[in-house]
Amino acid sequence: MTTEHLEGPASVEDPHQAMGESLVALQQRKRVIQGLKVTGVWIGLIAVVTAGMLMLHISPSYMLEHYDVILQGAGTTIYVSLVSIAIATILALFGSISRLSSNPIAQGISGFYVSLVRGTPLLIQIYVIYLGLPQIGEQLTGLGFPAIGKLFILDAVPAGILALSLNYGAYMTEIFRAGLQSISYGQREAAIALGMTPWQVMRRVILPQAIRIIIPDVGNQFIAMQKDSALVSVMGVWEITFIANRYARRDSKYMEMFLVAAAAYWILTILSSWLQGRLEKRMAQAYER
Amino acid sequence: MSAEPLIRVAGLHKWFGMLHVLSEISLEVQAREVVCIIGRSGSGKSTLLRCINFLEEPSAGKIMVDNLVVEAGNRGREHRKLVHEIRLKTGMVFQEFNLFPHMSVLENVAEGPITVKKMDRSKAVKIAEMNLDRVGLLFKRNEYPNRLSGGQKQRVAIARALAMEPQVMLFDEPTSALDPELIGEVLNVMKKLAQEGTTMLVVTHEMGFAREVADRVVVMAEGEIIEQGAPDSVFNAPHDPRTQALIERYRSGGAK
Repeated sequence: MTTEHLEGPASVEDPHQAMGESLVALQQRKRVIQGLKVTGVWIGLIAVVTAGMLMLHISPSYMLEHYDVILQGAGTTIYVSLVSIAIATILALFGSISRLSSNPIAQGISGFYVSLVRGTPLLIQIYVIYLGLPQIGEQLTGLGFPAIGKLFILDAVPAGILALSLNYGAYMTEIFRAGLQSISYGQREAAIALGMTPWQVMRRVILPQAIRIIIPDVGNQFIAMQKDSALVSVMGVWEITFIANRYARRDSKYMEMFLVAAAAYWILTILSSWLQGRLEKRMAQAYER
Repeated sequence: MSAEPLIRVAGLHKWFGMLHVLSEISLEVQAREVVCIIGRSGSGKSTLLRCINFLEEPSAGKIMVDNLVVEAGNRGREHRKLVHEIRLKTGMVFQEFNLFPHMSVLENVAEGPITVKKMDRSKAVKIAEMNLDRVGLLFKRNEYPNRLSGGQKQRVAIARALAMEPQVMLFDEPTSALDPELIGEVLNVMKKLAQEGTTMLVVTHEMGFAREVADRVVVMAEGEIIEQGAPDSVFNAPHDPRTQALIERYRSGGAK
């Protein structure tokens, strides 16, 4: 009955059809012109910056000769970020469920974790894990537990991954919590009335809906993490920033190397945003069906 | 009506903070009986219904469903187990449907049997299909809820509750969120269930439905049951002035 109403007018000849079409065309032309103007501004900005660099005797040939070492570091940056975001996601999942549970132990631990991690700088966390934990390890070894003590002495890459995972896990716990809370209470009630246990309600009803809401935010966190991973350079991990720093000092080419590093992060971010956009589009389609 | 009732509510009280929304409620529902609860908004009728399957924890009193007795205020594993069993014996239909939007119509209806009863997928699908057929929506089995009209959503929600094969169906204002032209199809399904001998407890503003389908009408006001009886006697010769006012408002077209 409603379809009839909707389809009715479309099939009838509209005497003002041409007017509508020309309006749509005009709007489209406006959009294209606006896009061209913005692109022009971008190109202008890049040209001005480049000209300034050349006047200040920045050496483009040095940059071109050394961009490949940065590329090697990019592999490590991507690897560290990917592993860390995966672990952080698992931490955030359990963290958020704990924060919303009525169990005082789960609530206490997750609240403490989020508060501690969000209240301290990532750089300090990296130092504590990389330089602080080995002290505990040595003491444990001295007390006669060398096997346990060894666990506290981490190589640079695992230490970096641990620090980034813990740090992002805390921020993402809050994102996940908001996502879980955004599912209407009626969904929970319907599942409870069917006789589901709290865990079944979470797994079958709440989580599948919340994940759709959370995924874009996980993408944003991943993009942010790629850049925060620069901090693990302080432990001597051979990622983008560390390599840039090393060459910059050796050859006194600070501006050159750090510009190349910045460009590498920028390109990574643009690629990640593009991938994120595609993923979101696909997920929206799956829901429509 | 001498047999043991299927539902017995005794001395039920419910407070929301300092608000006393249910006071000393006692109610019995026999097997195969259709009972409609009517009353103005805020009279406590929905809360009463939600206390029966413990979506609301009663503050005091006893709930008995099919020989399972749960006392308010209990805690612990034994209490949770009893509540769980009561929920298995009661099917609930909500005002806002609350279908699971990430599942197809068929998955919505098969979800309870599969997840809660641990039933074989193929067997659960058969039961789901049978119940979708009962509400006349088998042809929508692969559709997603957001592609259905409100009336169709509510009929799927009824099928979802029926698929758990409950002893009693609880309806919480099942047509209040619907456009007027969609109310009829839901009421027709409910009427059919009543004719098939389903035990039903229905909170509703649909006086016509209550009058036609109910075996007994319960009238609530200010957290108490003020009157109950056969539809004819309640609608034609109400005792309590508040019932008279309620029915008067309905007759003049203002009760919805």
